[in-house]
Order: sequence, then C-alpha cells, then structure tokens
Amino acid sequence: MSGVSTTRVEKRSDGLLRRSMARPEAPALIFLLALVIVLSVVADGFLGTSNFEGILAQVVVIGIIALAVNQVVLSGEIDISTGSMLGLCAMAAGTVAVAGGGLFFTLLAGVVVGAISGAVNGFLVTVARIPAIIVTLGMLYALRGVLLLVTGGDWVTGLPAETRVLGIGSAFGVSLPIIILFALFIVMELVNRHSDWGRNVLAVGGNRRASVLAGLPVGWARFWAFVLVGVAVGIASVIYIGRAGSVQTNAGTGLELQVIAAVVIGGTSISGGRGSTLAALTGAVLIGVILNGMVLLGIPGVWQDAVLGALILLAVSTDVLRRKLLGDKA
Amino acid sequence: MSQYTETSGGFLSRIKFSRELVLLGVLIAIVIVMSLLSPVFLTLGNFLNTSRYFVEIGLISLGMTLIIITSGIDLSVGSNMALVSVVVGFSFLGGVPLPLAIVLGVVAGLAAGVFNGLFVTMLDLHPLVVTLGTFALFRGLAYGFSDADAVSSFPAWFAYFGQAYFGPVPGQLIVFVVAVVAVWLLLSRTRFGRYVYAIGHNEEAARFSGVPVQRVKLALYAGTGLLVGLASVIYVSRVSTARGDAGLGLELDVIAAVVLGGASIYGGKGSIAGTVLGVLIIATLRNGLLLAGVPSTWQLFLLGVLLLVAVFLNEFFRREEG
Amino acid sequence: MEKQDTETAHDAANRTPGDAMSRSEETHSGREGTWIFRLSSVTKRFGGVVAVREVDFDLLEGEVHALVGENGAGKSTLMKMVDGVHTPDEGSLEVGREAVSFSSPREAEAAGIAMIPQELDLFPELSVAENLFVGRKRPRTRWGGIDWETMREEARRSLGSMGVGLDVNAPVKQLSTANQQIVAIARALLGEARAVIMDEPTASLTEREAEKLFEIIADLTAGGVGVVYISHRLEEVFRVADRITVMRDGSHVKTAPASDLDSDELVRLMVGREMKEQLFSRSRREAGDVALEACGLTRRGEFENVYLIVRRGEVVGLAGLIGAGRTELAQTVFGLRKVDAGEIRINGEGVKGLSPQRAMEKGVFYVPEERKSQGLISPFSISGNITLSILDRICRMGFVKRGRERETAEKFAGSLSIRGAGMDDPVSMLSGGNQQKVVLAKSLAREPSILLLDEPTRGVDVGAKSEIYRLINDLAEEGKAVLLISSELEEILSMSDRVLVMREGRMSGEFERDEATQEKVMAAAAGVKAGQAPGNEAEVREERE
Repeated sequence: MSGVSTTRVEKRSDGLLRRSMARPEAPALIFLLALVIVLSVVADGFLGTSNFEGILAQVVVIGIIALAVNQVVLSGEIDISTGSMLGLCAMAAGTVAVAGGGLFFTLLAGVVVGAISGAVNGFLVTVARIPAIIVTLGMLYALRGVLLLVTGGDWVTGLPAETRVLGIGSAFGVSLPIIILFALFIVMELVNRHSDWGRNVLAVGGNRRASVLAGLPVGWARFWAFVLVGVAVGIASVIYIGRAGSVQTNAGTGLELQVIAAVVIGGTSISGGRGSTLAALTGAVLIGVILNGMVLLGIPGVWQDAVLGALILLAVSTDVLRRKLLGDKA
Repeated sequence: MSQYTETSGGFLSRIKFSRELVLLGVLIAIVIVMSLLSPVFLTLGNFLNTSRYFVEIGLISLGMTLIIITSGIDLSVGSNMALVSVVVGFSFLGGVPLPLAIVLGVVAGLAAGVFNGLFVTMLDLHPLVVTLGTFALFRGLAYGFSDADAVSSFPAWFAYFGQAYFGPVPGQLIVFVVAVVAVWLLLSRTRFGRYVYAIGHNEEAARFSGVPVQRVKLALYAGTGLLVGLASVIYVSRVSTARGDAGLGLELDVIAAVVLGGASIYGGKGSIAGTVLGVLIIATLRNGLLLAGVPSTWQLFLLGVLLLVAVFLNEFFRREEG
Repeated sequence: MEKQDTETAHDAANRTPGDAMSRSEETHSGREGTWIFRLSSVTKRFGGVVAVREVDFDLLEGEVHALVGENGAGKSTLMKMVDGVHTPDEGSLEVGREAVSFSSPREAEAAGIAMIPQELDLFPELSVAENLFVGRKRPRTRWGGIDWETMREEARRSLGSMGVGLDVNAPVKQLSTANQQIVAIARALLGEARAVIMDEPTASLTEREAEKLFEIIADLTAGGVGVVYISHRLEEVFRVADRITVMRDGSHVKTAPASDLDSDELVRLMVGREMKEQLFSRSRREAGDVALEACGLTRRGEFENVYLIVRRGEVVGLAGLIGAGRTELAQTVFGLRKVDAGEIRINGEGVKGLSPQRAMEKGVFYVPEERKSQGLISPFSISGNITLSILDRICRMGFVKRGRERETAEKFAGSLSIRGAGMDDPVSMLSGGNQQKVVLAKSLAREPSILLLDEPTRGVDVGAKSEIYRLINDLAEEGKAVLLISSELEEILSMSDRVLVMREGRMSGEFERDEATQEKVMAAAAGVKAGQAPGNEAEVREERE
C-alpha cells in the first residue's frame, strides 16, 4: 500500500530532560531530594541509618496501601475507607493470631477480610453505580461500626511472637517490613507495565468512554482495583499488628487521609489515567520524611493533620500549575 | 418545584413529588418506631434537645445542598466546625469577651469557606480534592490551636444561647426556619438559584452564557462556611465544650441528609424541601437510637449504610427516568 | 411502493416520515462486486420515536459509499447498527453473507467493521503505539510480560504504510487533531478492518490534512477495504465517493453512483423540496461606525498581533483553517479568555479585564461553536435557555419575574420561528436546527450591538440554515456588527461584506466582497506562497490606518 505522497512527520518529541520532567513523579522526587538535603542540614539526627529505618518503618503501612490505592485512583476512582479497613483486618488477623492460628492463618485472615471489604466497595461502585467517594465514605463509617460491634470495644492483646514477625522481623539485616514494601513495589510496577489489567486501568481512567467502546472490561478493571486495596490492607494489617503487638479499636483511624495524601503528593493525578507506582512510593516516603522532620524539629504532633492537609493542597495545586506551564493540550 | 429541577415534565414530576411524600412517610414510620422503643422519645424536652442537633446539621445541609447541585462537594464541614469551636472557646479563654469570641468563630467559619472557594475557583481544582485537603487542614489547625485541649468553662447563659424562647418556640428553630425559607427562595425564585442549577447541569454552557460561575461557586462555599460557623456556635453552646474533635463524622450526616433528600451527586438536581426531610429523618433516627440505648457505634454503622442505600436508590430511579 | 423524493412542499419542521421509500433495486444498484456488509430493511426505534425506518444499505469492497442527509436523518443511527452500538429492532444485518447480530463495537471489530467517530476515542495519556493496541492482544515476551519493542515496531509499520511517521512513544495528547485521526485509522486497520465507517472525518481538519485523508482513503479502497463516508460537506462527498446514499427523516431516499448526481439534486433529495437558491443573497448596505476593534491582540500560543474591525451594519466573515485561532479570538473578545497583549475597543472605548458579563454589558455576545456542550442547558426549558443571559434584566431584587420571562422568551422564540416543542419543554426535545435557533434567540434577547457567531450553521439542516442566513442579514440591516466565523467557504463568501482570513494565529488576508474568491481566501488561509497571496500581513496593516 503506497503511492501516498507527503509524509507528515510529527515534531520529534521533547528531549530526555523534558520528558523526565514531564513524568508524574518528577516534582515529588525533586521535592523529596530537596527536603532531605534541607533536613540533614537543619535537623539534628536526621542523617542516620536508624532514623532512616525509623522513617521507612513508619511509612511501610502507608506505602503498601498507597501502592494499591494508586491503582484505584489511576482507574478514575477513589477510596477513603482504608483506615477503617485496616482496623477491621487488624482485628481479624489479631484475633486469629491470639487464638493460636500461626503466621499463615493470621495473614490469611487479614487478607480475606480485606479482600471482602474491597469487593464490597468494588461491587457498590461498579454494579450499584454509586460514586466511589460516597461508597468509601459510607464504608469508612460502616466498617468502623462493624469493628466496634464485633469487638465490643475490647482490644486484642498478647499476640504471640511468631505472628509478629512480619512487623518486627528482619532478613539479611534489613527490616522485614521494608523488604515487603519494596517487593510489593516491584510487583506493582510489573503489573502496571506488563499486565493487561494494569494497562486497562490506565486506559479506563484516561478515557472511560473510549474504553467502553474498545470493549475493555471497564467494570472489572475497577472492581479488581478495589479488591487489590483490600488485599494490600490485609497484608499491611499483619505488619501493623506485628509492630504494635496489640490491636486497639481505633486502629487505623486517619490512615485513609495519609494514604490519599501519599498518592496525590507523589504525582498521581486525582482525575485518573495519569500516574505511576513510583509516584505512590515517593509520596509515602515523602510523608514519612515530613512527619519525621516535624518530630526532629520539635513541631508538636498536634499539627500533623494541618501539615498533611496543607501538603495535599500544595500537591494538587502544583499539579495544575505544572500542567499549565508544560502546556499540555489535554 | 420548578421546571428547572426535573429532566422533563408530566409523569416524572409526579414521581418527584411522591419522593417527598415517601420521605415524609419514612419519617413518620421512624417516629412511630422510636416512640415505641423509648418512652422518652415523644416528650417536649427530648424534642427540644433533638431540635438543636438537627438545626446544626440542617443549617449546614442547606449550604451543602446548593454545593451538591453544582456537582461539587464539601468534605471539610466537620473539620470546619472543629476550627470554629476552638476559635470560640480558646479566644474566650484568652480573655476575649464571649460575644466577640462568638463573632470571631462565625467569621472563622466564613473564612474557611472562602478558603475552600478560592482554591476551587481560582486554581480550578476539583472540590473533592480541595475539601479533602481542608478536611485535614482545618481539623489540624483546630487540634493545633487547642493543643488537643478543651475549654468548658463557659458562663451559664451560654448554654441557653440557642434556647431563648419566643413564646413557646425555641429560638434556634426560628433561626432554622428563617434559614430554610431564605435558602429555598434563593434556590427556586432568584436568578442566583437559576445559575446554581445551570452550573450543575452544564457548567461550560453556563459560563458561555455569561453566568458568573466563579462568583457563584465562591459564594456557595463561603455561604456554607458561614452556615457552619452558625451551626458550630449552637453546637458549642449545646455541649458546653469547645474542643478539636468537634464535628467528627459530621460530613457524613450532612451529605447523607442532602442525598437522601433527593440531590444527585452528579449535579443538577436537588431541593430544599427534600433536604429538610432528609435532615429530619437522620436527626430523628440518631436521637431515637440514642434514647433506645443503641451505642453510637451502631449509629455510625447505620448511617454509613443509610448513605449508601440513599444514593443507590437515587441513581436507580434516576436511570429509570432516563 | 412509492418513490418520493421531490415535489411535496413540506415545511422543514413538518416533514411526515414514511413518505420516502425505496427498495432493493435502487439500493443495491447496478454495481457488481462483493458486498462487505448489508443492512436489509432495518428499523430502529427509541422509545416511541422511529429513528430509522426500513432502510437498506450495503457497502461493496473497495468502494467509498457516502451517506448524506440532514441532521436527524438517521445516518449515525444506521451506522451504529452496523458497528454494534445498536441492534436493529427489525430487519437484518449481514456480513459476508452471514446474518449477524453484534452486541458491542468489539464484536463488530472482530468481524472486520471499524468506526471512527468524530470524537476519535483515543487515550490521551497513553502512547501512540499503545493506543493502537488497546483492547486487543498485545505482543508478549517470553517471560509473559508485554513486548513493548515489538508493539512500537508494529505501530511504526502500520503508520508507515499510510505514509506517516510519528513518534510512537509520544502520548497521543501531544498530537494534532489530524494526526490523532490518523492514529484512529491505523487502529482500525491494525484490527484488519474490511469496512471503515468515518463520521464527519474532515470536521476538524485543514484542507491539506483533508487531502491527506483522501489519499489514505484511496489507498484503503485500492486494497479492497470499503469506506462509508458520512459528511455534510457535499463538495467533499463528490470528490471522494463512488456511490451516494441519501437519507431523510429516518428513511432511505435514494442510492446512486456519484456520477449520476449533482449537488443541486442532492440537496433537493436531502431537503425534500425545491431550493431556489443554495445560499443567501445579501442585501447591501452602507456600513456605519466602527463598533468593534481589535488592536494587536495577542494570546500566547493561540493568536498574535491581530488587527480587525467590524462596523455597524456589516457582516465580516472570518475564514481560516482549524487551528487558525478564530474561535480563540472570538472567545477572547467576549471575555472568555484573557488578553496577553493588545487592546479591544468597543464603540471606540478601550476595555480591559473583560469577562463575559462585562462583554455583555458592553453589547457584545458570542454564539459558541458547540451548541450541546457550550450553547444550551439541555434539561432547561426553551424559555429558560433563552432567558439565561438576561436574567439580570428580568429580575427585581434578584427575584425572577415569571411574567416578564415568559414574555421575553416568547418574543424571541417567535421571531426565530422555533418549532417542535412548547416553551416549557426541555430544549433537548428539539432538532439540531431548532436548538441552534434557541441559542441564537438567547443571544438576541440580550440585544447586543456586536454579535460573534462561531459556526452558526454547523450541523444544521438546510431549511434552518437559510432561516439563519436571513436572520444574519436582518441583523446587519438593523445596524448590528456581525463577525461570522465559518469553515464553509461558500457561506462566508455569500454572507460577508468583507472577508478576513486567519492563518496559524495571524491575520493573513483581507478581501472586500467583490474581490474575494474561494481561491484567494483558501490561499490566504493555507499560506500558499507562490503567486497568490503576497505579503498579506503588510497589506492588512496598511489598511489599518
């Protein structure tokens, strides 16, 4: 098939630097770098392996969940029920642990409860067609209610040591939770780049209409994203109870905000279709660094939420400004 | 309601009309059930107490209704309430005369609303994200300023602040009724209300038609902030304490009430009458359950479920209308 | 079985469907050749409305079959039945001699039928290469991951076979509309489509890009692929089509080889009545004072250093290719976009910090390109839409005076002969032409002295079009200043007192009515160097003062 005359060549796309700067996680990474530099100068005790380990340990729970919530946001939805979900999963896992179920069943309990909660979210969003913000807002309270009902307000204490290993154990000298975080990061990155589901999620979030017409399984793509969040919360919950050694009824309160903040600050766009796994991880680490910095600088903990809120606003504002500056036609 | 609240006339206006009837029916059913569950329910004292609570939610819901009609949302109302409470309590503690502290609080609420509005309009950000951020920010400021402490040493007259009687009717009810009528008139009879519906249906076309979209939106968020300020003062007087965790979960009550009342989360639809009924239902439910000894944890659970059911039914029937 | 295609003098709005019918012999006309798909006597209803009534249509291998008709004639609905978006209520669809029923576009695609809608349906954030593979099996590496390199290679190959070289890694959002369309076509081809349905493909293309598209179409048909070409642009249709089918009010009117028809007859068939004149003949008038003046107006990335004037009582046509910046310019004058540099003068007075409200106060009004998404509030009533921009005038203390609203709305609806629904009915019930009239009524209600019309007859049936031309003429007669943006050269040439041309954000030509010709305007719009359009910018500036 030839005989066609003029070849229209699109302007060669921008150079490497511009392309890197255009990546969604670029501003967050730069900000992280700058912050690390500033803090190492200004805050005593910032630079030190034990401090870094401390940061990462704190960030692991947020990070693991953020990696999954990232997929939900990429698909064009949102999930703010993760805090209560964590509490519920932790309670389930902890109960099994205390009852002598051993590590495997503890983990299973957490993951199953999480998956079911995620599936409920997914079902309500895709089948009942209720907007995700409402579904997960309702579930945030409903799940917390379930948690309190089931426990009657009692804590779960006395977790046997073997079930705590995911939270406090280590392998090859590195703390186990951190290994799990990075392992999950690699898995998510692979899924994102190489699985049909991962690419479909991006397509669905980027152009829902076109996805429907192209015959993509729009409902299933989003559904599994919500289930994935449940699974991630389940895994995170076992790490959480491992670290804490007990489960309070207010476990996970406020976590959902930190998770969304991580995803958004890291560079994933709240409107969907644009972002990356690295963005979620960067965002989580960034939050950890900021909270850690606050402690080192003596800023009282009561201001944590304020800082978090300000960061979210800052992150989304700069995303808008950056898009205008880079002149995206989209 | 006017033609602007429906997709088409005729048969469908009958469905809409009966929605309010259905809500009324639900309300009556709840009242009956609750009075059976607790002897105290149908007493005047209880009614007065409940009315303060529902005035608080109700005032805020009025503002939220308009915001939701423009397909926006405000998740920060609960946190705003905390901020206002803290401003009132802690400036009073710091020596400011209480009446002035009250004014400061209301202004703080308004300022918070304006803050939301500016981010949504000037920066063109989605209200969901903005108010998610301010949800954290306002609460954080409340905790920060109060240092996680509380103020309860209010003068005795303050507790009756909202309860001044005009004849047999408690003051706050009058305030609420006035607010309801005002907002209803605004929405259904003024051009501002027309603008609100236009923006909710098709913001771009509204803009192209010369509707001052940014100004309207700013006014909505600011107005809601003001309403939060008023409601918060009533709240603080009711519980006689000002602390940073006031209004926890309030956004759930408010959004549930508005949605229950028929507003579509996608914008373009909603009415004051519906919202008022929604508020009544939720307040009655909460009060009744409390009296029946149901722990507040159950209430949270039920409210969460109620919200989901309400939205589902809304959209389900809307799709039938097609 | 009657064949009705001409004389009955139906009013445009009072057409009775079902008059026009034509059967197999006409449709599956003389031409020998295998057909790719065939619709036989299909009918489709939506609620109580019959959108398509007993229509036959087929597409032969290697042919370009144009489908024309006014808005609401049922062209899109008909093709959507082939594409699996709708299923026929009656009648059948056969593909390759087998009766089929598609329940999704995906199934149609699997059977070799691809549709390229006006909205293109691409994924802006994903790369060109990936866009070509969305929804189909992606090449895999040995270990099971996606083979990006092979995907890119195939993408390059596919585009190359159309004579196009694009950066397949670039996100689609960075491409021009024309190139995005090419990506959409490549997507269809990669799916081994045997039939490609194009819906108004040149709506957003420059003339040169349209030429390119025609080349691609020629290539496709040479290879045996059939193309259905839906378009309002009759000149293009004659250029490209082998056969033409005309639909009207959901029914089939006629199918014939393109060589057997001419545009007059085509219009006649589409409209169903005699059209004495295709376009309009304007009444001539002395132009008055300068009403609107743009001095060195600039918006970065959209237009630069634009000078133009519009006088009272004159219609200034603004021609140019898509992307020339005309809409952006008009929207800036109306205050929808901010000025970066330069000045706007209304009635001699410089204005700064324009917003739509201020512009309206100054007597300017803009009628947007897209009526559904920009011009109307669909669930609002006709009266609600008409009065949306003048609420401040029919309110007292902020309250809407219902009586005055009614009065005003009826007055303007009447003056434009809006038909098809009652004043309180939602505007969504009207046909495209009447909807456009509502948008115009809204602008007239404001009683502006300067009107900026952006493609006012786009997607409007021929009957309503002539009514709109008459309206524009009347407006000029009344002394209003009208800026008419249009992509239809004939329209511009017959309606304008003066023709301005923009190209890539700059003024590139200005012609008085008598000296303007299609060639000159086209040359200025396309920036042809040789001979035709010398130093227009200099000419224009000299005109200034």
